[in-house]
Amino acid sequence: MSGRYPYLFSPLRIGPVTLGNRIVFSAHLTNYADGGLPTERHAAYYAARAAGGAGLIITEEHSTHPADRPYEKLIRGHLPEVIEGYRRITDAVHAHRTRVFAQLNHNGGQSSGLYSRQPVLAPSPVPDPLFREVPRAATAADIDDIVAGYATVARHCGQGGFDGVEIQCSQSSIVRGFLAPATNLRTDEYGGSLWNRARLLFRLVAAVREAIGDDMALGIRLCGDEAVEGGITLPEAVEVARWAETDGRVDYVNTTIGVATSTLYLVEASMGIPRGYATHISSTIRDAIDLPVVAAGRFKDPEEAETALAEGKADLIGVVRGQIADGDFAAKARSGPAGSIRTCLSCNQECAGRVGLNRALGCVVNPRTGKENVPLPPPRRRGRRVVVVGGGPAGLRAAATAASRGHEVTLLERLPSTGGQVAIAARAPSRAEFLDLVGTSLAECLREGVGVRTGVTATAGDIAALAPEAVVLATGARPRRPHWAGPLGRIADVRDVLEGKVVPKGEVLVVDDLGFHQATSVAELLADTGCAVRMSTPALVAGQDLALTLDMETFSVRAEAKGIVQTTEEVILSASQETEDTGGVRLRVLTHTTGSVTEARFDWVVCATHQEPEDALWRELSGSTEFEVVRVGDCVTPRRADAAVAEGHRAAVAL
Amino acid sequence: MTRSVKDADPRTLTLPLRLAGRTAPSRVLFGPHETNLGTGRAIGEAHVAYYERRAAGGCGVIVTETASVHESDWPYERAPLAAGCGPGWAATARACHAHGALVIASIGHAGSQGTSAYSQQALWAPSRVPDVASRELPMEMETGHIRALLGGFDEAARIAVESGADGVEIDAGQHALLRQFLSGLTNHRRDAYGTDRTALLCEVLSTVRNRIGKDRILGLRLSCDERAPWAGITPEHAPGLAASLTRGAGAIDYLTVVRGSAMAAARPDSHTEPGFNIGLCRKVRAEVSGAAAVVLQGSVVDPAQAASAIAGGAADLVELTRAQIADADFAAKLGSPARIRPCTLTNQKCGVRDVRNPVVSCIADPRSGHETGDPPVAGTDPRRHHVLVAGGGPAGLEAARVLALRGHHVRLFERDAELGGMLNVAARVPGRERLGALRDWLAREVHRLGVEVSTATEADLGGRRDGIGVVVATGSVAGPRNYVVHKGAVVLDVACLLRDPGTLAPGPVAVYDPIGDAVGTGVAELVAARGNPTTIISQDLMIGTRLAATGDLADATVRLRRAGVALAKRSVPREVFAGHVVVTDAFTGRVTEIACSTLIHCGHRLPDPGAVSSSALLAGDKVAPRTVHEAILEGRRAALAIAAGAVAT
Repeated sequence: MSGRYPYLFSPLRIGPVTLGNRIVFSAHLTNYADGGLPTERHAAYYAARAAGGAGLIITEEHSTHPADRPYEKLIRGHLPEVIEGYRRITDAVHAHRTRVFAQLNHNGGQSSGLYSRQPVLAPSPVPDPLFREVPRAATAADIDDIVAGYATVARHCGQGGFDGVEIQCSQSSIVRGFLAPATNLRTDEYGGSLWNRARLLFRLVAAVREAIGDDMALGIRLCGDEAVEGGITLPEAVEVARWAETDGRVDYVNTTIGVATSTLYLVEASMGIPRGYATHISSTIRDAIDLPVVAAGRFKDPEEAETALAEGKADLIGVVRGQIADGDFAAKARSGPAGSIRTCLSCNQECAGRVGLNRALGCVVNPRTGKENVPLPPPRRRGRRVVVVGGGPAGLRAAATAASRGHEVTLLERLPSTGGQVAIAARAPSRAEFLDLVGTSLAECLREGVGVRTGVTATAGDIAALAPEAVVLATGARPRRPHWAGPLGRIADVRDVLEGKVVPKGEVLVVDDLGFHQATSVAELLADTGCAVRMSTPALVAGQDLALTLDMETFSVRAEAKGIVQTTEEVILSASQETEDTGGVRLRVLTHTTGSVTEARFDWVVCATHQEPEDALWRELSGSTEFEVVRVGDCVTPRRADAAVAEGHRAAVAL
Repeated sequence: MTRSVKDADPRTLTLPLRLAGRTAPSRVLFGPHETNLGTGRAIGEAHVAYYERRAAGGCGVIVTETASVHESDWPYERAPLAAGCGPGWAATARACHAHGALVIASIGHAGSQGTSAYSQQALWAPSRVPDVASRELPMEMETGHIRALLGGFDEAARIAVESGADGVEIDAGQHALLRQFLSGLTNHRRDAYGTDRTALLCEVLSTVRNRIGKDRILGLRLSCDERAPWAGITPEHAPGLAASLTRGAGAIDYLTVVRGSAMAAARPDSHTEPGFNIGLCRKVRAEVSGAAAVVLQGSVVDPAQAASAIAGGAADLVELTRAQIADADFAAKLGSPARIRPCTLTNQKCGVRDVRNPVVSCIADPRSGHETGDPPVAGTDPRRHHVLVAGGGPAGLEAARVLALRGHHVRLFERDAELGGMLNVAARVPGRERLGALRDWLAREVHRLGVEVSTATEADLGGRRDGIGVVVATGSVAGPRNYVVHKGAVVLDVACLLRDPGTLAPGPVAVYDPIGDAVGTGVAELVAARGNPTTIISQDLMIGTRLAATGDLADATVRLRRAGVALAKRSVPREVFAGHVVVTDAFTGRVTEIACSTLIHCGHRLPDPGAVSSSALLAGDKVAPRTVHEAILEGRRAALAIAAGAVAT
């Protein structure tokens, strides 16, 4: 053992397979499949992580049954045509000497008939909380059929060159349906005692082992805490793991927490949940068995992974979003410059947030995620002199990418430090990890030799004086006062609060027009300073998109503890200054669903509303004949960070 | 003013109509709509089969799914992109022309009503006004963008007509950048495209007319009422605008009058009166005064209403989109309109603007959208089977109908006094009455086709039944309750309440809706209208979450609020007492009490527990209680399996 992370970079044997290190890219949905088959995109995506040094890649689930189609872009492993795609993936991964396993699964009742046009199958007719479709209870013949389906797909995996398979028993699976008392009401030999509820699993283990022979590894993925009533608990998971070890056919145990269709916020925890929140599960299971155990749960830097290994909490560490954000996570941990890993923010915006909407997995910090199969064009000309104006997420990304492609880049930032609105947003305690987005980009700029000049308000003349061949404008946005706000001093923007320009006190209304963290994080911040906070939105839910990023549960718990009141369906009609010298604001508020208008008073009103682009330079320069000008991010039109990063990257690639 | 003609002969709709020198064989139009049938962003094989089936059924004009004219527009994942639609348009034209129908390619750009999720580029719009639904802020188009847009319309029109389409329809309807330019809600520009908000549309029309020539049809879909009178397009202003567009270089051949914008649902469900645009359409047609044909749109599904609109001078053609999704032979059946399978306007399977990309279909005709996969229902089988159908709900009725249609001998037993099963219950939910029309149609067809129906009779499913096919569609029973019911508490199953609302005692009522579909909200409305103080309880962040898919979520919220229904969101019932229910917050566990003397349970149901022989085919709720769509789909499948001899009888 040597090097920075001796535990992380020690090899490990899993049954017949030896892994080079302990970093696992565990199974996760990508929506990259097309027509039920794995694609080039899959192969390139996994290969990029293999090239980046991952010890083991476990692909997303392969469905084992034709009637199991919970979502559109599922890999339908039961189709013989998958083998070609499997081979493409395994060849691509093996080229980097990384091992690759396939996850096998049937989603059981956590599905619907939308795509299959068949009833869904489950241990008992208990509808899933998300899909809300009553399943058909599996008969003995159905169970035989399910077992046969796993064996078929396991054989396909063998033919496709996989080094092992993992049976999903958690998150969303018919196996978890059988294991969990709430979904298994059977009175036959598959229901009742834990032994009976685990019977399907052990039939699957036997059938799959027979199908793959002794040269491939076999793992199971168990949940240690589903956090639902009647769900799987840790003592039962430990018992199942012990049986798996005794059974002798299983080579390793992967772990998880939460249920995909009800407590997904635990499966893919956002920055609202403390790091290491699920390590007790791998640790407890590891204490009970000798098989290698994989930990899961928001491991986003190598240090944490190393510590968990050193402390004996796991044998392997699942780093999923960490490697979505930076495919070279492992290689950089082993030998890259300190701080060179592009850290996952746990923001869930483009990974969980997109996958949940049937869209291809992406990443806010890594615009290349999911596009690995589309090679970047070479620079139009190398070594161009490029000026980037604005050091927010768009400008930093443009500068870093441009410099990495051999251009000579100068970045001009108006403020004393870079980071733009990301740095401002991250001042809210609940959003602190968001800061890494600009932190790692800035580090990359500096490593790549970008000339970063802060405190410079660039004029057209300043830019021209630098004699650029290309100019990227990333000048951001400024708050726009709502039409009803007038000049009232006690009506401010969320940015004014975060930047410390105003310090609201007393009763505060936070107006949410945006449906994201802008309002919720500032509401929390204000409540923390002792304000009595009410959040108001024209929508049916305040902070609606927090549901997409799996922040709604944790925000709601914190909001209740902080006494934040939420009202919906409200539009502010007008505001006026209170006549008394309290300085408060009097509002006329329309509830648009009823048409009723009420009056309310607040000491302060803080608005999270659409901004105005800072596009004066664009207007001035866009016709330039001396140099090429492009604009990126909020100065095009104010949106979220993903758009800023994607456009910054795209503009730099096009230079 | 001419009143609409009552009892107009539906065959009025089968009169041909000349458009730009081409003849539409009937006045029945199949309007542009999202289908998710495409392969990638092209018009695919499934589209062609879908359109051809309507052309074969007598439809006069097929307008294909709106194709984006420029790559900046990618409003939903399977939205067609004109640049790649040539082969699909050509195949559609060939297939539909064989039946005499005209084929028009709809082309457009959704502007700020799209999404950047697929393109990862800023949305285009006249001004930086966020869409109300998505909250996404678009970019303000610059001159270069406007030129590119015009070029896109020009190129799309070229591809369409070179592919053999009879013309193009320009989209300035509910989801359209061209409408956003016309409207004061979304166009705040100070340049020539803002001072004259019609400028861009006029340029598009003349560009396209110039491209396609006089012998191809130029249609326009125009929102004539954005339902936002403070700044939007209004019915007062729209007719004059419409008339002006029938003149000049870009003169249109037909105009489809639609209503709506980002501010109002494009395709309202059964809560909105069918034919709600008739008055507006008549007004527009009067103003246009024959310079262009006028197409009526807006939940028109009834042949008599459509025919009255023609006979009464409100329109020259009628867009009967959902009517033809429900019955592809709508036009062909106009001689005997009672045989047309009715559209129930529930939007449950045809409203497919949904990120999951469901394929367009129909609760009543599951083959809709599945033309390339599902076999036709009609046909004759080599051997005549004797079949017993247990259950006269939608699954059993459809099974009996299909078997009888194919010449088999069918006996159907229904334990209740009337046919219909759960449709009888569902049709009592306010706003869902049209489900009764589907029940009536199924019952009529079953009788017409000679099925021997016994009501108030339980089917005898015991013993061996050699030589007889058996379909069991005996439905469902009330499901379990996941909360404690204390002594004195009254908990009523929703189906019981709907069968006899009179059983409801006075006093506060809580409606527990764990599903979030049309039933819970509808029952809350029903109860509130009876005068009981009402609370609707759901574990979700919103009440009626599933109504987003059918387009009724916002409207349902308004109806509930106006009826004074209290909305208990994020709430999970735990214990019901004589006068109240204890609920906990779904996220925080906070405990609250809600007054109720009756709790109405709208939860999931369980299959009818009756035993069946292993050779019987099961369908619908008997398999697993789901919706009317699955019931009809499975009833049909069971029938076809028996008809094909796939099941031993």
